[in-house]
Amino acid sequence: MPTPYLVIDGLTKVYERGQVHALRGLSFSVEKGEFLVVIGLSGSGKSTLLRCINRLIEPTEGKIWLDGTDVARLSAKRMRRVRRRIGMIFQQFNLVDRATTVRNVLTGRLGYMPGWRSLLGLFSSQDKQTALANLERVGLRDKAYARVDELSGGQRQRVGIARALMQKPEILLADEPVSALDPATSHSIMQYLEQMNRQDGVTVIASLHFLSLARRYGTRIIALKDGQLVFDGPPKTIDNAKFKEIYGEDAEEVEVR
Amino acid sequence: MTGYPEGYTSPRPAWTTGRGLYNALARRADVAAKYFAVFLLDAGGLAALWLLVTYAYAWYVLDITAYILVPWWVFALGVVEGAILWESLGRSWGQKALGRELTPVSAEATPIRRLLYFVLWNLFSLTGIGFVFVPPLHERWSGLGLRRERPSSQAPVPWYRTSAGLFVAVLLVVTLVSALGVTLTWESLRRLFTQAGQTVEFWRALVRPDTTILLDAMRDMIVTVFMAVLATLFAVAVSVPLSFLAARNLMRGPVGRPIYTIIRGAMSVARSIEPIVWAIIFLVWVTALRSPFAGILALWVHSIADLVKLYAERLEAIDQGPIEAITATGAGRLSVLRYAIVPQIVNPYISFTLYRWDINIRMATVVGLVGGGGIGQRLINYIWGVQYRQAGTVMILIVILVWAIDYLSARLRAKLA
Ligand SMILES: Nc1ncnc2c1ncn2[C@@H]1O[C@H](COP(=O)(O)OP(=O)(O)OP(=O)(O)O)[C@@H](O)[C@H]1O
Ligand SMILES: [Mg+2]
Repeated sequence: MPTPYLVIDGLTKVYERGQVHALRGLSFSVEKGEFLVVIGLSGSGKSTLLRCINRLIEPTEGKIWLDGTDVARLSAKRMRRVRRRIGMIFQQFNLVDRATTVRNVLTGRLGYMPGWRSLLGLFSSQDKQTALANLERVGLRDKAYARVDELSGGQRQRVGIARALMQKPEILLADEPVSALDPATSHSIMQYLEQMNRQDGVTVIASLHFLSLARRYGTRIIALKDGQLVFDGPPKTIDNAKFKEIYGEDAEEVEVR
Repeated sequence: MTGYPEGYTSPRPAWTTGRGLYNALARRADVAAKYFAVFLLDAGGLAALWLLVTYAYAWYVLDITAYILVPWWVFALGVVEGAILWESLGRSWGQKALGRELTPVSAEATPIRRLLYFVLWNLFSLTGIGFVFVPPLHERWSGLGLRRERPSSQAPVPWYRTSAGLFVAVLLVVTLVSALGVTLTWESLRRLFTQAGQTVEFWRALVRPDTTILLDAMRDMIVTVFMAVLATLFAVAVSVPLSFLAARNLMRGPVGRPIYTIIRGAMSVARSIEPIVWAIIFLVWVTALRSPFAGILALWVHSIADLVKLYAERLEAIDQGPIEAITATGAGRLSVLRYAIVPQIVNPYISFTLYRWDINIRMATVVGLVGGGGIGQRLINYIWGVQYRQAGTVMILIVILVWAIDYLSARLRAKLA
């Protein structure tokens, strides 16, 4: 039996400061090519989960098998090699505001370059062409040499996507990629993610706040509550009762169209 | 999960690992620091109040210079016990200043409990033993603990009805009263208003500049500017690398934190020593009478201390987002520095450097007054020699120079923002 692409096994995270149990023995697995959406209330541990997968946050306990290696136990150096196969985009975009768009995109290649080349800023001409091509793909070719702080929120997130594309990732982590954007822009960003998922076969794990977006784009949904798994299944099986269980009795569903 | 080797490691207690031990110690230190910060503020405040009251009393009533007026151990005991009593029974000014209050943790805050808290503080916490435990012993057994104050739905008590408010008010009044008594006499006030005529000669000299010394003065002024430039440049070379070691957010863990503490501590000591004092130290050190070199060294040391603080504070305020993102691409630590941190700090660093250069020009003049070379030295020589016309000329030149540099640096910094 082929093993799943990503297996999370008993993942626990306790933040030292304040002894917060953000994740409590979380276990699930993800097949290659899935579009997994993580939902849950604010503070339920979505960001912590995503950041444990590429070890931006050190898990306290548990195993994270990515394609057969336990990421949670890798040395810092090996971890860097694994990280470059994992793209990531963020709610606050996390771009370097003072640099140009294309330069931000190029940083996606840093994991593949020898240290001295990256310190001197010597990106290969092939990388530069790829960067422009990726900007073309997200419709920002004409903004290539504009400074990032001149761009709108939606444009910035597209720069984030182009940066992730530079890594030629096998898997993409998206931490609330559209929470800072309006509904129409949200859909356009989600469609880029869907395209990566369908065309390039990138496994996507995205945390989202709106159930309607989760239903529309996810092939599978998991829900967290207080760091534990409370739902795991295809989008259409989330009914009203499940919804109340995840978000609490008083919650009302809000549509994003 | 099936299909994977089970890498089994036996769970050890957290404190048996180096990291775990560090965390355990850090937590205890953290708790103790919170309690002692409040205690030190209260005890220090009470000590200051007692000293000032007795000082004023001795000065005005007994007509002598004296303080404390009681045996020192009575004073110490009174201050310490007073502080603890205040903290246990009321809302002390230390608690108020640090935004904490004594809250029921596991029991109702009855007067008996508060008294128990007072006794336990004396028995265990003052000796430090209580802080071996988390939560500390006095908190455990009295059921009360210091916590961040919570917004309450009741209207706040006006300051003059709280002990902390009254305390601060009394402290201010007493300080003012004793300060006035010590520094001012009627005689000196009378002179201020009747003897302005003494300075006439000086003002007259100012409006009749001596142009024959202009060239020499200019030469010294250039020396002063060069002193400032060199001191600033050399200081930048040292401060930039040091600032990374002095930034709290970059220096974590059992190795990093002590380095951070040492550097920050050393810098604040160096900064608290005025450049003029540094100049005297270096004049003795390099044994020279008229030496721009000693002046440069003095400015250099003080600039380093100042710039490291400014730079490091800027580093502590950087946006963590890009660091996260660049790390996530698989970049190494140096690349993260180069692509996520450096772009955020270049402009502020240049701006701080210009600001410091501007200060150094002024400081270079002051340092010259004690023999550190440059235009300041010329000025003091003229003043000692009662050559007021020449001194006035130099002062006019200094004003022009300082004004010009100030303007220039402000313009440049506005461009960078
Ligand atoms: N650096 C930290 N130190 C201490 N506690 C933290 C830290 N980061 C997160 N937490 C806590 O861990 C829990 C989970 O946080 P997390 O950010 O993973 O939630 P989330 O589901 O992403 O929430 P949101 O939807 O608001 O982004 C929260 O209770 C939070 O307060
Ligand atoms: Mg989050």
